Amino acid sequence: MKSKATKIWLFQRVMHRRAKTTEKYLFAIVVAYAVVVAFMNPRFLRLETLFDMIAGGSGTMLLALGLSVVLISGGIDVSFTAVAIVSAYISVLTMDSLGIDNVAFAMLMSTSIGLCLGFVNAVLIQFLRLPALIVTLGTASVFHGAMAVLLGTTDFTKSEMPQSLVTFGSASLITFTTENGRYGLTMALPFVIGALILTWLILHHTMLGRSIYAIGSSEESASRLGIGILRTKLFVYGYMGALAGVMGILYFSELKYVNPTSLVGTELIILAAVVIGGAKLTGGEGTLLGTLLGVSLFALFQTTLVFLGLDSSWRNFFFGGVLLLSLGVMYARQRVADRKNLVFEAN
Amino acid sequence: MNRIQRLVARDPNVVILAVLTLSVGITLIAFLGDRFFSSLNLQSMATQVAEFGLLALAMGLSMLLSGIDLSIVSAAVLSAIVGGLFLAGEIIPITPGNESTVMWIGVAAVLVTGLLCGALNGLLIAKLSVPPILATLGTFIFFAGVGMAITGGSSVPVTIPGFSEFATATVVSIPLIFLVMCAVYGVAAFVLTRTRLGRKVYLFGENSVASRFAGVRNERTIIFTYLAIGLTVGMAGLIMLSRVNSARVGFGDSYLLQAILVVVLAGFNPFGGRGKILSLFLGLVLLQSLQSAFTIMRFDPFMRSFIWGASLLFVVGVNRLFHLRANRRRILTNLAPAVVNPIDGSPHPTESPPGEIPSTGTTETTK
Amino acid sequence: MAEPLLSVENVSISFGEVRALNGVDMTINEGEIRCLVGENGCGKSTLVKIISGVYRRSAGTVRIGGAKVDDHDPRRAIAAGIQVIYQDLSLFNHLSVAENIAINRLLHNGTRIVKRREVHDIAREQLERVGVSLDLDAKVSTLSIANKQIVAIARALSMDARLLFMDEPTTAITTTEVDRLFSIVRELNQRGLSIVFISHKLDEVFDIADTITVMRDGYMVGDFPADSLDSAKLAFHMTGRDVAHQPYRRVARDDDSTAPPVLEVRDLTRDGHYRHVDFTIRRGDILGLTGLLGAGRTEIALTLFGLNPATSGNILIDGKPGRLTAPWNAMSAGIALVPEDRATEGLFNAQTVSKNVSSTRLDHVVNRWSFLSPSKESELAQRTVHAMGVNNKNTDTLAATLSGGNQQKVVIGKWMATEPRVLILDSPTVGIDIGSKSEIYEQVQQLADEGMAVLLISDEPEEIIATCNRVLVMHDGDVIAGFDDSQRQAPGFKEKLAELIADPASAAVRSKG
Repeated sequence: MKSKATKIWLFQRVMHRRAKTTEKYLFAIVVAYAVVVAFMNPRFLRLETLFDMIAGGSGTMLLALGLSVVLISGGIDVSFTAVAIVSAYISVLTMDSLGIDNVAFAMLMSTSIGLCLGFVNAVLIQFLRLPALIVTLGTASVFHGAMAVLLGTTDFTKSEMPQSLVTFGSASLITFTTENGRYGLTMALPFVIGALILTWLILHHTMLGRSIYAIGSSEESASRLGIGILRTKLFVYGYMGALAGVMGILYFSELKYVNPTSLVGTELIILAAVVIGGAKLTGGEGTLLGTLLGVSLFALFQTTLVFLGLDSSWRNFFFGGVLLLSLGVMYARQRVADRKNLVFEAN
Repeated sequence: MNRIQRLVARDPNVVILAVLTLSVGITLIAFLGDRFFSSLNLQSMATQVAEFGLLALAMGLSMLLSGIDLSIVSAAVLSAIVGGLFLAGEIIPITPGNESTVMWIGVAAVLVTGLLCGALNGLLIAKLSVPPILATLGTFIFFAGVGMAITGGSSVPVTIPGFSEFATATVVSIPLIFLVMCAVYGVAAFVLTRTRLGRKVYLFGENSVASRFAGVRNERTIIFTYLAIGLTVGMAGLIMLSRVNSARVGFGDSYLLQAILVVVLAGFNPFGGRGKILSLFLGLVLLQSLQSAFTIMRFDPFMRSFIWGASLLFVVGVNRLFHLRANRRRILTNLAPAVVNPIDGSPHPTESPPGEIPSTGTTETTK
Repeated sequence: MAEPLLSVENVSISFGEVRALNGVDMTINEGEIRCLVGENGCGKSTLVKIISGVYRRSAGTVRIGGAKVDDHDPRRAIAAGIQVIYQDLSLFNHLSVAENIAINRLLHNGTRIVKRREVHDIAREQLERVGVSLDLDAKVSTLSIANKQIVAIARALSMDARLLFMDEPTTAITTTEVDRLFSIVRELNQRGLSIVFISHKLDEVFDIADTITVMRDGYMVGDFPADSLDSAKLAFHMTGRDVAHQPYRRVARDDDSTAPPVLEVRDLTRDGHYRHVDFTIRRGDILGLTGLLGAGRTEIALTLFGLNPATSGNILIDGKPGRLTAPWNAMSAGIALVPEDRATEGLFNAQTVSKNVSSTRLDHVVNRWSFLSPSKESELAQRTVHAMGVNNKNTDTLAATLSGGNQQKVVIGKWMATEPRVLILDSPTVGIDIGSKSEIYEQVQQLADEGMAVLLISDEPEEIIATCNRVLVMHDGDVIAGFDDSQRQAPGFKEKLAELIADPASAAVRSKG
């Protein structure tokens, strides 16, 4: 059994830093919840629960990763669900009309479209100096609306959609069988892990990533140093768009159903998960571990309330409650500190 | 000519809006004739605009205080659900004798729920100093969650007869609910321009630090305003309930974007301190006319959504241009791209113009 | 004759219709320590921003090391060896010390992959050159301002700077820290770095500079060897006129011995801010409260105004205990505060003068139905604007368009409208032209003559000497010296005061021993 000191040491070695308070609290909440649920319904502790959670949370995690990068840069984006659907849908339509039936193709195309849509966001925000929240509210409608008007909103059922996606969505990384049936670990997981590692590497080990933190911390100082603001923002919003593109294909594959009117509308709750994870809207702050924990909590509420006898329509209640509590605690503490230091800005 | 020039310089936004609304109105009448300009259509427009107008007012009020209230729709829906429960006889059984009592209790329940929602927002923002956009993000999800928890996703049908008459009643052939909305707008405009509370709203919204230093009771101002927002939202819920005669989570989700559109169109500054109710009303008329025209021309929801999004981008872009031109002295034109606040677009000046004191400390803004 | 390091020839720039710089010439040679001085708004910061590539000049030439530089951007200036440390230090609060120091170098090396070791090596090397050690992994937001400055200097050095501009470096640090800064600067200068200070702290200017360059109203007045000037001559060059203020004398009042003082503070303590502060202010007093940053003066002002409740001690107003838990309480007790930061704390920039003035008197501009009365509001505004001598008599102009001096008059006016008994002025003439300064001094003296109790907090010894009849000096939270009317009027007071401010630490020791 490793001692607590060793565990802390290990954490510090891997992360090169101490765990933040938010992360500690979140971890505690996740553990506490798991304990309570396990106590009330031991069936929670099965592997298939974990697999379910991962399946349900993968898409959200991808989007949350991109959104975290945007928040760290000091910006915000609410168009990513629209981008995900538009990118994936266009890819599916292309595959359908050209007769290409290949997952890699779908991924590539969707990612590229997402990237371009992200660039549009970046240009509108930086070049025209428009506020990010309002711009992305607008582009969400523009992207989605344009797609629907120009390409229609025909859905594709399991038999109608490109079968490679269905196969991909049905495949699993690891399978095991219990008396209840076969359970598989979603193929989306490698994508999530890959995106997590890539994002971490970029944010912490490249000049680009450090520039993102710099811009989020003080855009003005960054421009004085000669950091390319437009270039960095093109990356930030483009990256978000690309991840959204990937997520769109995963989403359709997982559901085995292509519905271009779905998913849009969930962006605010994903923003909530990232905020619970400790990212601040003011920029410069945010950790991937925090995002991971925030999304985990979201996935927990999404998939495991069943074990408490509640159906998933209770998810918002709990998630909203947790968000309110964590916001209240975080900002109340800051308020007390501000009063002491005679800082009056934040009311 | 000079008077017009002065009027424009003083409040370009209202004038532009008025001109825009008028031209759009005329175009629509010209192209759609009496499909648009019939009393039937006008009545229908007036009916539809009532609940949205109240939501837009709520959004505008929250923006005056600086911030965005993301919870207006889910609070309205929750209020409608709570009221609906009463009006469906789920809390107090309805008998032929107590129908009207239960109905009035139901109405009160809707409004009280709205007030409570507003109170929660107000407390989070005023007493815990949570930034409004985050507080209302949390309450948006939470209220939706409560609504879901209560109804399990199904709709609550109103069983009291006569309740839906509220939505269809007319006074000299003008829909009653439209008149109610106008009355609320009138009260809001009056309070904002002619009372001390209203003045404090503008002062706080523009500069919460200076208002504190001027002796304004910031916390009270916030809480009262959010209570007012809650009441307005409750009224919107009441109208929703009456029009549809039922209440369900998810109703009116598209209203949020449209509310932000209309408020931004009306020249409200999301950073706080600027916005006229008259402009909001004009923007509302404009939007509803377009909405109605879209219905007549049978635009599908996605086409409309596209147009709203494009309009929002267009309006913000044009506003930015005007801001730059009007402030030529202040905004420095010879520098490398200035830096912009992502939530509202106000420029961080990278240098105070000559004649002002240099800033000490960082130039970051929180919000 | 070697090429000058930097040569600015006939440079001009305009912002919209405002001409900020007019045909400015300046030359800096290798190995110099120069001070660029001038009143606020004279254009010194603008000039620096043109040199560093942040602004594009409208006319004239800039040469670095003899080579003409056309439209250049920040990166080229940095590459040419020019570094600017702005007043806000341009640091990234959320990044570590090491990253802040190294980021400039890394950017210019074109580094793509960031290796922690490399970042730390660069940072350590620069900190050694500065001669200070700091925790490399600490977030910059946790550092004191003086240490943040060290980080900024280290970062500037990492780019092999040849010419370093420092914009008002000493406004926010204590005297000990100023000494440390100056010795670092001299050391670096010995090793070949040329430095230009922008400062308005005249005693420091004389301390550190070889040559003083004076600007005024967008024009270059000239370069002067430091030892050829004294503060009077310098002030003359900076302002263009001989300025002499009539010192204030308090007229004794009939009720001086019978009535309690308007404001009395007994043993007031606020943990971490100040301790055991005692003073009284009578009607007609202008009590000066001076000392350096961090002394606790603004903190006391905020306590008196209800924004910073004391942990122990008493505050008596007219002999009765005052409950000052919030600004509105203080206002009811008759206390008014003209705050330190005019732009953020004192004014509503986007509102009209009229709305600014009425913001403290909302309860008094209502009609009999308790609604706001436009006529009462405009009447109040007109009265105030005339009483305070604001140049622009149109009360519908936006506050932001007024000059600094007029803005401050509006702020003081809005507080005078509350008919206070105690007026607290916190650094009231920072960033104000000399003409308005004189007018404000006169007005404050007149108010005191009429019976106001005034507390004036100021950094500038000249201001204290001109306007106060009694003075308190604070250092690090303690009151280390007090001068009553007679001591204030005694000869040698000016020197004593200057000495105290320059070296408060030893005075503090003496006052305790």
